[in-house]
Amino acid sequence: MLAASCFFYMFFKPEYILILLFTIVIDYIAGIYLEKIEDHAQKRKFLIMSFIANIGVLAVFKYYNFLNDNITGVAHLFGFTNHIPFLKMALPIGLSFHTFQAMSYTIEVYRGNQKAERHFGIYALYVMFYPQLVAGPIERPQNMLHQFREKKYFNYDNAVWGLNLIAYGLFKKLVVADRLSVYVDQVFGNVAGANTSSMLIALFLYYFQIYCDFSAYSDIARGTAKFMGYDLMINFNRPYLSKNISEYWRRWHISLGSWFSDYLYTPLATAKRDWGKWGVIFALLITFLIAGLWHGAAWNFVIFGLLQGVALSYEFLTRKWRKKLASKIPSAIYTWGSIAMAFSYWCVGLIFFRSPTFAIATKVIHKIAELNFKFNLAQLCGDKGPLNLVLSFVVVFSLMLRFLLPKDLKMRYSAVFLTVITLGIIILGKNVAAEFIYFQF
Amino acid sequence: MEKMSQQNSSISNFKRFLLRVFVPLLVAVALFGLLFQYVFEKKIILGSETNGAYKVNRIISQTNPDEIPIFGASQAQGGIIPDILGKNYFNYGVDGVGNNVPLFFVKEECKKKKKSPLMIVYYEISVISHSIGDVSYYLYNANYEPVKELMGKNFKTYFNIPFLKYYGQYETYLRNYLNDRVNLTKYTNHGAAIEKNRVTRERFDEMVKEREKQKPYFLSDTVVTNDFFRVIEANPNRIFVIILGPYHKSCFHLYQDSPETKELISHFRREKNVRLIDLSMKIYPDEYFINTTHVHYDGAVAISKEIRDSIATIKLNQ
Repeated sequence: MLAASCFFYMFFKPEYILILLFTIVIDYIAGIYLEKIEDHAQKRKFLIMSFIANIGVLAVFKYYNFLNDNITGVAHLFGFTNHIPFLKMALPIGLSFHTFQAMSYTIEVYRGNQKAERHFGIYALYVMFYPQLVAGPIERPQNMLHQFREKKYFNYDNAVWGLNLIAYGLFKKLVVADRLSVYVDQVFGNVAGANTSSMLIALFLYYFQIYCDFSAYSDIARGTAKFMGYDLMINFNRPYLSKNISEYWRRWHISLGSWFSDYLYTPLATAKRDWGKWGVIFALLITFLIAGLWHGAAWNFVIFGLLQGVALSYEFLTRKWRKKLASKIPSAIYTWGSIAMAFSYWCVGLIFFRSPTFAIATKVIHKIAELNFKFNLAQLCGDKGPLNLVLSFVVVFSLMLRFLLPKDLKMRYSAVFLTVITLGIIILGKNVAAEFIYFQF
Repeated sequence: MEKMSQQNSSISNFKRFLLRVFVPLLVAVALFGLLFQYVFEKKIILGSETNGAYKVNRIISQTNPDEIPIFGASQAQGGIIPDILGKNYFNYGVDGVGNNVPLFFVKEECKKKKKSPLMIVYYEISVISHSIGDVSYYLYNANYEPVKELMGKNFKTYFNIPFLKYYGQYETYLRNYLNDRVNLTKYTNHGAAIEKNRVTRERFDEMVKEREKQKPYFLSDTVVTNDFFRVIEANPNRIFVIILGPYHKSCFHLYQDSPETKELISHFRREKNVRLIDLSMKIYPDEYFINTTHVHYDGAVAISKEIRDSIATIKLNQ
């Protein structure tokens, strides 16, 4: 399995395996010492060493150019020229994901929740396990390490369940996400040519595009692992039913949300408990600022993160008031109103998430604020024709059929399900060879 | 012992998986797929005259001695209305291709015995590059050797697999079919598919500005051009009506001073069986265009009439 994972990783850029090997060795050694050493101060040194190695690699590959770009901007403002060279290196695949997974290991060993792994191969596999190496879910050592020690045999139930997950994941990616990308890419690629209607439609479709794209990868990862007898955590749980942004982060990219909650938000809020509720707000804002930056080295992502932090702070400060309000309003109205509001707010964040630059994000907001609903068929269809737009809505509503299936996709008549899904993919699939969006992170 | 029983259980699990899921899945997909493909090809792919696949199949497998074909890329498909030209015209224009594809059509046409010697070829001078456009045009006839040759490296092994070969293309065929039936966004007429909708005035002005900023260029595909002249010379019994343009005036600077364009035009003029209709430097109103290189329905009507009148004089001069 380790050999397969190495092959998978090296398929993209073989030399980058050395970087991964470097952090694996550091964390492996750090883990053993973190367990061995009793002295708290010494332990802390090893934890910091592991952090420096992991965050250092992340900083060089992901944030160096962003920082340098900002230095250039500031220098230019004061009439100076920045001579620090920019790096021309591709980002190693899944860097943010496996870095966080590796960090969760050293933190858990440091906290005493996990025994250090003595078998180097098993630890390396924990970091490199190929189904989830590129885009998560970001696993915890408690869930994975023991599974790699068990001998695996072909199991009918696991294989069928795994295939169901893979098939449904492929359907979400090839039929839904790639279909929606046609309209979304066209409108976001030519914001000047859009009006309020087409921009709002693009945003609505983008919500489902990114959801299907990312959750599809998680399903495929879970399915591939399940086929081989391994269990990965659930990463998405119908986020579109969230009634507030806090709930969003418990339903959307669950492994990242819980990572930040366990390893950043909780320690920060605990450290600042003297500040009362402002300590919580401080912890929320810092956590989501970093969560935004985790997604990408750009100011857009910083704003995306801050918007999340602001929403969660608002929800924290108004929780009693909202509870009172809920008791006064009929529950169906309150629930659906909350879902609609949370959905809309999430979409506002997605403007920054999708726009390639901050300037384009502001153009998008400007377009929406124009309230120009003048009818022009070509414009409304994003210059991609009415059939594409109709099919885009059809595939979004096809997601509703998911409610008819068992939540975990364990089915009695899997052959029928797989046949329908396979035919659906071949007939409705878009042959655009688009990458998974989260590969860039 | 325990290991042995686990291995046996693993084998029996695998057998169960093959018999209960994998084989039924393959059989069901194959059966349904073949049936679906049969109906789809007959009703949808060959049921729409504007479909590239229909046009490729028509030029290969049908011969109508009275037919006068119109070949070209999107300019032809979206710019010339066969009914305006006359009774027996058919528009074989296909979207998004270079001159290599019309050349393929011309070669197939030259194999046929026709009552009329005329064929109309829209020759693109705005971008003369080698492109086969959408692969969906060729999948129905993917096993026909000249088609395979035309596709070149775009031909994929899975194009030999029924049903699966159309993966990702079903929508394209359906769109053409629906458009043929409903004419919501395009007016269709004997293979022509002409844009009825316009972009906003602001968007059009932007496109004009972008085009004006573009530097002059001429991407001559000499292999295709030379091959085309060879075909013209090898078929002296046929008359090739070559149409250049029309383009929006913002495009003129791209080719007007190009020696290659001048040479191409004079070469066409030198060929005895070529009649040139050069619209490339004619100024037409903005309302005729949907963008700087393609005409709107209003433009197509006006230009088709102009071409009809030119063809009428050509016939008289024969």
